[in-house]
Amino acid sequence: MRGLPWLGLAALVLFVIATFTPLANHLNAWMAGSARLEPSDAIVVLGRGGADSDAVLTNRSLRRVLRGIDLYRAALAPVLVFSGSPEETSARTVLARGLGVPDAAILTSPPARTTREEAELLRRLLLPLGRQRILLVADPIDMPRSRALMERVGFAVLPAPTAATGPSQPESRLGLVRDISIELSAWAYYRLLGAL
Amino acid sequence: MGIVILTSWGAYLVGTRGMGMRQSDLSGAATVVLTYLGLTVVFLLGNLAVGIVLILGLRALTRQFISIYMLNDATLAVLSLLQALIFQSWRERST
Repeated sequence: MRGLPWLGLAALVLFVIATFTPLANHLNAWMAGSARLEPSDAIVVLGRGGADSDAVLTNRSLRRVLRGIDLYRAALAPVLVFSGSPEETSARTVLARGLGVPDAAILTSPPARTTREEAELLRRLLLPLGRQRILLVADPIDMPRSRALMERVGFAVLPAPTAATGPSQPESRLGLVRDISIELSAWAYYRLLGAL
Repeated sequence: MGIVILTSWGAYLVGTRGMGMRQSDLSGAATVVLTYLGLTVVFLLGNLAVGIVLILGLRALTRQFISIYMLNDATLAVLSLLQALIFQSWRERST
């Protein structure tokens, strides 16, 4: 038990750094990388957070779908592809239609249990249609792993992250640090499995 | 952060001038608190490890999507602190 005070001190220092400095914001921006908003074959909006029981998209899912619709309106691709749970893709489709995206321009991918499965299902959906060059919409912290998995299944990926600046409130920064920790653990897990 | 620094300074003044507490005992108190924090970290890491194993196991067994981000909840840290407080208090009473 001798090391416990030192562990506690380390935790306290990390807490202060994570909460009261912009380190999380810098990490967020670094993980986002540079956006490449160029013409592509499809805009792929990855699932995140789903929808609640009232079919209302979560904040994160909503940010992604709005980003995707924005890119569609900028005529960067003829097709908008949504992945996620059935409830999420359904809510996204309804929102996209409501904001003027025609039905013919919306594709949905079947639900997946993991990001790797999601990439494979998108490959089966889009590559036979000749849609290999994609604008990938994901959160900044999700971009490195998502991009790597999509490239591994054969896509040419143009990153289109959602807002990269991140939060400024201490509690939100702490949440972001937790998210980053989970995402980096997932990255390590996928490397361990040889999936990346 | 500034608010906390201010109220901590106020508590220090109340403690030393109003309640006769000794400044020399402050470092010992800080060590006790850091011990509790360290034990909280141990419980938190344990809770996260068990949570991850459960989620990955359920994904494999049920073939349904269960998000790892369910573990991203501040209440887990609070509950881990509670575990640490109870465990350490129990340990001190038993020695």
